[in-house]
Amino acid sequence: MRNVDKLPRIKSQPFPHVVVKNFLDPPTLDLAIDALAGLEYDFKESDLFSYWASIDLTDINHPAINILRDDLGGEIWRKKVAESFKVKQLSSIDMAAYVYGLGDFLLPHDDQVEGRIIAYSLHLTPEITEKMGGSLNIFKANDAGKSKLVDSIIPEYNSLIMFEVSDSSWHQVSEIMQDIQRLTVTGWYHG
Amino acid sequence: MAEINFYYLEKPTLSNLKRIFNSGDIPFIRLSKFLDPVPIGSKPKFNRKEKIGYYNRQEGSAILDDFWKSSEFIQFLEATTGLKPKFREANHICYSAGDYSLLHAEESESRRLTVTYDFTKSWKQEWGGYDLYTSPENNPLICNRDPGSLMAVKLEEKDLSCTRYVSQKAVSMAQVDRIIYDLD
Repeated sequence: MRNVDKLPRIKSQPFPHVVVKNFLDPPTLDLAIDALAGLEYDFKESDLFSYWASIDLTDINHPAINILRDDLGGEIWRKKVAESFKVKQLSSIDMAAYVYGLGDFLLPHDDQVEGRIIAYSLHLTPEITEKMGGSLNIFKANDAGKSKLVDSIIPEYNSLIMFEVSDSSWHQVSEIMQDIQRLTVTGWYHG
Repeated sequence: MAEINFYYLEKPTLSNLKRIFNSGDIPFIRLSKFLDPVPIGSKPKFNRKEKIGYYNRQEGSAILDDFWKSSEFIQFLEATTGLKPKFREANHICYSAGDYSLLHAEESESRRLTVTYDFTKSWKQEWGGYDLYTSPENNPLICNRDPGSLMAVKLEEKDLSCTRYVSQKAVSMAQVDRIIYDLD
């Protein structure tokens, strides 16, 4: 079950984003982490990223994953997300789990793919600190493509980060600097 | 003044290099200790060049700008590739911790011969910073940093190249003269 009923105030700059702390209640959190730990992860690498990814969790039938998917993508919560971000109705979510280990990263990109309205990531690594890496860096870019780091969000345990996808939603996952496993469930709310 | 190492100029070697160049799915040759003596080069004036989501690096004038335009070097390229390269541009490019370029930065490129001379002083493979060349239908070509080596790669219109993200742990810079020659 979700621990929260509403979203905090959306920060508008440099693009609309929010951090929802303490998102799941402890029993659901334990169940979800156990289920995610039992999945297989494949190493994925390109010029843009390096990480380990699970299979697509959008449609699989697993008791704990079903609960997690409902907490993130159920109708009531989708409505609250749409109202808070002042976007059109959100019809569905997709979902996968990712693990970033030592040296992994995701370089700046804007997430724009047709149908994606709100990006989300639920963070499941206890006691992560800035020095370990893996922060969500948020950039403001001018028309020429020159960027400024505006915010660096440490992915606190059990926090849900969401932002509106647009041509200005430049962000990255900073390189993992220590031997940790940064576990997230990530996806998008679709229109 | 630096010159091409004498053993790359012998006739049988040139003929072998041309055969090797044309045998790869992505045609390339890589020549270690290419110049003799190894050029030290004055430190060029750099400017940071960034287009977020495409590249973030420092660029300046090529250290060996005149050499890359010289008839001696272009004739060497003709002999080792069988191509007729026409000089387009030469830059000195540096990638330090956190820098990168991405493949899609070259999406509008035409047929070209890309030449890279590696000025990197010392490097650890785990820092990344390697050059990556891709071509549809073929396996990618990865070229790790190798100080003093010259890499020449023929790229078709839809082929792409980039320099892989450099780790925040890197304590030196990947630095190269990168020269583009147009091909008909």
